[in-house]
Amino acid sequence: MRDSSDILRLENLQVHFPIQGGLFDRMLGRPCGAVRAVDGLDLNVGRGEIVALVGESGSGKSTVGRVITKLSQPTGGRLLFEGRDMTSQRSSSALRSYRHHVQMIFQDAYQALNPRHTTFDIVAEPLRSLRLVDNDAQLSERVSEALAAAGLNPPGDFFARFPHELSGGQRQRVVIAGALAVKPELIVADEPVSMLDVSIRAQILQVLVDLRDRHNMALLFITHDLPLAWLIADRIAVLYLGKLVEIGSADDITFKPRHPYTVALLNATPQIGGAARPGVPALQGEVPSAARLPNGCRFHPRCPLAFDRCKVEEPPAIEVGPHHMSACWLAER
Amino acid sequence: MTENIVKYPPRGRTRAVKRFLGQFLRDRGAQVGLVCLVFFLIVAAMPNMLVGPLQTAINATGDFLAPPSGQHLLGTDEVGRDVLNLIVHGARISLTIALLATVISLVVGSTVGMASGYFGGWVDTWLMRITDFFFVMPSFVLALIITPVVLEVMGRSGYILGFRLSLFVIITVIGMTSWSFVARIVRSQTLSIKERTFIDRARVVGSSNLSIMVRHILPNLVPQIAANGALVVAGAIYIETSLSFLGLGDPLQPSWGTLLSLAQRAGAASAGAWWYLGAPGVCALMVSLSFVLIGNALDDTFNPRRRAIP
Repeated sequence: MRDSSDILRLENLQVHFPIQGGLFDRMLGRPCGAVRAVDGLDLNVGRGEIVALVGESGSGKSTVGRVITKLSQPTGGRLLFEGRDMTSQRSSSALRSYRHHVQMIFQDAYQALNPRHTTFDIVAEPLRSLRLVDNDAQLSERVSEALAAAGLNPPGDFFARFPHELSGGQRQRVVIAGALAVKPELIVADEPVSMLDVSIRAQILQVLVDLRDRHNMALLFITHDLPLAWLIADRIAVLYLGKLVEIGSADDITFKPRHPYTVALLNATPQIGGAARPGVPALQGEVPSAARLPNGCRFHPRCPLAFDRCKVEEPPAIEVGPHHMSACWLAER
Repeated sequence: MTENIVKYPPRGRTRAVKRFLGQFLRDRGAQVGLVCLVFFLIVAAMPNMLVGPLQTAINATGDFLAPPSGQHLLGTDEVGRDVLNLIVHGARISLTIALLATVISLVVGSTVGMASGYFGGWVDTWLMRITDFFFVMPSFVLALIITPVVLEVMGRSGYILGFRLSLFVIITVIGMTSWSFVARIVRSQTLSIKERTFIDRARVVGSSNLSIMVRHILPNLVPQIAANGALVVAGAIYIETSLSFLGLGDPLQPSWGTLLSLAQRAGAASAGAWWYLGAPGVCALMVSLSFVLIGNALDDTFNPRRRAIP
């Protein structure tokens, strides 16, 4: 796609968590296997692009975010940032420069803020630890700037406040300000608005879109909410059990979905006055365990359109339109 | 924007401290413990003003083993020294030893516990095996073996900060033998704190391990460290008294344990000199009891769901 301007590339990324068997299993030499949280994921994010990563809980979307922010180590595949391989980069200087460019917004803003730190300290922490400022005046200027960009005005009023003295929306803005303070090129936002009231969501989303527009910041928006993804993202990637099932422009995914899972997700969204899309009924059953993936297409046990081939062979990503791929045998026809 | 620099006005913090104090002071045990402790701290702070300089066999004023009277409120010892005078001076020695030993114990315990819980893996395994060693080894027995050896090697003479060297040996030995349960508690708390999202955030914004431990984990450990610190003080007083009673104290700067030891050797028990044995014993008991009461109250206030491990 936009190879030349990609800021982030994930190539065949795998995160497998080994299952520690009990003593009994180990004595009998039983194999214990692994939870395949992320299982061969290819994804790229262009400069200044907003990509939404959509999936149910347990699909591995948060794990992808943790790998990109170097909180978790992948067990396979590669993580490329601006063409440089960051997969197994562990030296502190390399990590520091990486963290200067890649920041994260956390889902639960209350948990993400140390209850014993003031807003000023929280927002100043990246500037201090990455040594991006020379003196206190500069520090306080950068903090004010970040708080203002996150919509906390006037910034000075918030400096001395503790997290418990802020409202939910303000806390999320502080988290955003902390991520913005270093002026990163990519922000991973893990469900940044799912804990917020609907009325505050729109404001926070506006802050994020403004950042892209003003600073050409790329955003990987992790969410379970497809309509929200359509609203904010340029492209949407749909994740199911650690693998992409469909990726394409936001409009294509929302209005011309080709994978039965995407269709089912869209149908599961309540619509006011709208009729469900024909062809695919709502999803039945539970997501299978990532420790015991089904053979063939990993969606076939729940897929209403599954046929024999799906149970045996795993479909590759098949191009179904410009920049639109679907991992479904039906797309081949 | 520079005029916006705020030097952390203590608004939120003051309120939290006020709420905490209100709750803490409502605890009956804390009230008793605090009154008792403040009394002994005042006594320890100005012994010369209260009872004059420390009496020795040379400037002793009373009869031998005289029972309490108007002149000697707590009687005298076998060389005619006023027991009240000895007790008041002993308070300073006993409290200093206990508090300094506690500081050592808390510093070592917190460092080991935090490093062990935070890094995990083989660091955790080895640090915890060392902790287990000190944990199962009764610290009194260990101190009993180490103290005479160290005293022999270092010698008893010399002064540091007005205290004789032998006292510092005792302080160090008590500190080094009583940190294990602090380390255990700090480790378990660290394990739970390090899973919280703000630690992930600190890592993403580039904080080093050291700064995560000092700036994020340690402040959240303060309640546990404070509550258990008070219990460590009580234990330290107990160990110090026992060690001195067995003759490992310093006769030139007598603590309550040393006084007990002197009383024992003077045959106070068989001579019926209850004031000589009883006074230092009751003092040691009251101070360690007040620390236990304060420690339990602190623990209840910080964490009403869990009682302290005694």
